[in-house]
Amino acid sequence: MNDLNAMCSEQGFKNSFDIAVIGAGPAGMSAAITATEAGARVIVLDDKPRSGGQIYRNVDASPLKQPEQLGEDYLKGAELTAAFSRCGAEYLSGVNVWHVGDNGEILLSENGETTRLTARQIIIANGAMERPFPIPGWHLPGVMSAGSAQVMLKSDGLVQDDAIFAGTGPLLYLIVAQYIRLGVRVRALVDTTPKANYFDAMAEIAGAFSAPEMLLKGLGLINEIRRAGVTVYKHAHDLAVIGEDKMQGLRFTSGGNTQEVQADHLFLHQGVIPNLNITRALGVEHSWCEQQLCWKPKLNQWGQSSLEHIAVAGDASGIVGADGARLMGRITALKQLQLLSLKSVAECQSDAAADLQKLQKMQRFRKFIDRLYRPIDLHRIPEDDTTVVCRCEERTLADLKQGFELGGRLPDQLKGQTRCGMGPCQGRMCGHTVSELLARWRGDRVADVGYYRLRSPMRLLTLQELSLFSDLTPSNNPQTEVKS
Amino acid sequence: MSAITTSDVLVIGGGIQGASAAYHLAQRGVSVQVLEKDTVSRHASGVNAGGVRLLGRHIAEVAMSKEAMQRWHQLDDELDADTGFRARALINIAADEADLNTLAQREQQMHGLGYFHEVRLNQQELRERLPFVADHCVGGVVSEQDGYAIPFHSTHAFRRAAQRHGALFNEGEQVEQIRRVGNSWMVTTSAGRYQAEHLLNCAGAWGDLISVMIGDNVPMSYSAPMLMITARMPHFATPVVGAVSRPLSFKQFENGTVLIGGGAKGFADRANNRTRLDYKLIANGAKNAIDFFPIMKTASINRMWSGLEGYMPDNLPVLGKSPRAENAYHAFAFSAHGFQLGPVIGEVLADLVTTGESRFDLDPFRINRYDRKVL
Repeated sequence: MNDLNAMCSEQGFKNSFDIAVIGAGPAGMSAAITATEAGARVIVLDDKPRSGGQIYRNVDASPLKQPEQLGEDYLKGAELTAAFSRCGAEYLSGVNVWHVGDNGEILLSENGETTRLTARQIIIANGAMERPFPIPGWHLPGVMSAGSAQVMLKSDGLVQDDAIFAGTGPLLYLIVAQYIRLGVRVRALVDTTPKANYFDAMAEIAGAFSAPEMLLKGLGLINEIRRAGVTVYKHAHDLAVIGEDKMQGLRFTSGGNTQEVQADHLFLHQGVIPNLNITRALGVEHSWCEQQLCWKPKLNQWGQSSLEHIAVAGDASGIVGADGARLMGRITALKQLQLLSLKSVAECQSDAAADLQKLQKMQRFRKFIDRLYRPIDLHRIPEDDTTVVCRCEERTLADLKQGFELGGRLPDQLKGQTRCGMGPCQGRMCGHTVSELLARWRGDRVADVGYYRLRSPMRLLTLQELSLFSDLTPSNNPQTEVKS
Repeated sequence: MSAITTSDVLVIGGGIQGASAAYHLAQRGVSVQVLEKDTVSRHASGVNAGGVRLLGRHIAEVAMSKEAMQRWHQLDDELDADTGFRARALINIAADEADLNTLAQREQQMHGLGYFHEVRLNQQELRERLPFVADHCVGGVVSEQDGYAIPFHSTHAFRRAAQRHGALFNEGEQVEQIRRVGNSWMVTTSAGRYQAEHLLNCAGAWGDLISVMIGDNVPMSYSAPMLMITARMPHFATPVVGAVSRPLSFKQFENGTVLIGGGAKGFADRANNRTRLDYKLIANGAKNAIDFFPIMKTASINRMWSGLEGYMPDNLPVLGKSPRAENAYHAFAFSAHGFQLGPVIGEVLADLVTTGESRFDLDPFRINRYDRKVL
């Protein structure tokens, strides 16, 4: 250990770490394992009660009688969570990180109390969220995301009979297959993958063959769903939820016909996108990714952002999947160990070489997947004036058009004009839609439009909790008074 | 190099003062170009707390503030826009005897000057107007015609009204050089060249930099006052609320959200257009809010932010003619209370440009008021 490390470990610096990892999914766990092995003082912060992230949620404590029905890809997480619990990293579960500063400051909320800690290096591994699916009526009660169906299943063993699943992407087929294995009735699978995607994806077929086992896995799920007798509508588009106060059915076009399927529940899904709120509020640079149609933090191959001491790993960096996340966690940790002088440059490079190569191969496969399951424009960039874009403030496409006419050319300006993105989710659910809408209306590239300027807190925080985070006495100096 | 754009007046800064000046000038048939380095309303004018406050104004500002207040009450009609203005009583709460003494002295001073818009409240009157106020609050003072507005909407309302009268706004143009050539001001920006007879410095937190280019030194500082807004909560306060001696200020909007200010300052990184919050200090603001209104304990904070603002040592703006350069005028460093004055500042500047004088006493706001003082 060098002198700086010794200093940080001394008493009085107990809230100071070499590396803070935010998120205990595959990326965060593998980063923590790698870093602690090399002697770094590591803390892992996660908002869920158990490690594993979304993908391995409750893998070592499943409420299901036969968790193997969720599939091998789920079960293999148990080995990682076990290694993580042995690794010796400090681990705070069930805490909400509400601020990460570019100065290495982290504020987190635990049981209603805010604690501050600092770290010399930070790895942000807070994963992905589902891509918004802004169609008419998607805000109605009864409509949920397929991801939330999976959360209910993994956390509490809860399922919903006779629901429609609609959208595109591997996660959608997986959850439908899981439902079938558990004997849950599925009303229909409305697959929105357009025919054209199959042809376009052929251009990336070489990448697909670089990981044939993954290709077969995907095909296997779809066959499984068909064999189970679930009605599958293919190449569906123009989705609209039927219902006034709550969902009563789904209307869509498939095979040249307008179809209506009645149901009380609908699970939507069209892929996942990086969870941006921490990296955006931190102020690291982002770029628009045409391949994945999402914003990503700009990173080098070691996961380092525009701020050297802030790295991003796993799906938060751009969608890489659980296996890719695990590799990235290791790679970013190795680089940070080198920056902390716990590994030499040569060690870092030789330790990471194999992982970097594997990751590259996976990224070729990812290209194929991204092309195949690329959501269609109409389901990302709404055209129906009644479609709610901002669910928190209930702002429709018509409201946004009006804001654009009044001069809302940038996301923040449109937000100022219309309140779109001002609600409790702080733009999580509308940010991508707004970037793409403005790009279309302006005739510009999404990259030129940009995104909302985000701020802490990243989670809602009570005034009471914030008020207790203070060791200062009230100032009576009227010079500081501002009342405008 | 592009051709030179000429106009009667060049306004530097697309905040509320610049937009209001452009509106008043254009309305009088004067040709105006506004130069804004970012976007209109991007900084303090777009992200301030929206207080439209006459209560507790510095004596030097009361006359202008009263005039501005009258304008606010008709501003939506005048500008044919929605500024979000709502007329609401503004109450400053007295927390102890010392506060009551402060209010008594202030009343004496104001009455002596012939101002009667601030009315003292006893404990019971305070409680009638603010049923959820904490028991220890002993009284207060109210100004009935105050209120709040939505800053971003207000500034853009001025911008659009100015544009309708022919004013032109140039966004993304940072001023790089200012020269006096003959009887003209020559201004080079990151994107073009401009020439005008008159030059207005409405550059807010960057006003000192523009002043230096014009030829006036000024001891301005800049900072980042912090604000926060809660998620919607049940209606509990109709008036806008401040405190006599504590850094507290909040208003509950019609949608139930509560905006809390109070003057604590974060860190300003002016060169990079960025601010950073001081969480321990803003926590103190949260504590004050709960102390005065325990009902706010469970309110959820949705967002915290701060904007860049220019301050003078006496917390009064710089407003008036340049003492050293011909046909140059300043209106900046409003020290976090310029928003309410916006509607009248534009008129003051338009008067200075078109008539050479103002009906208000601008002496306290001279840019060179510190020239002989050692700070």
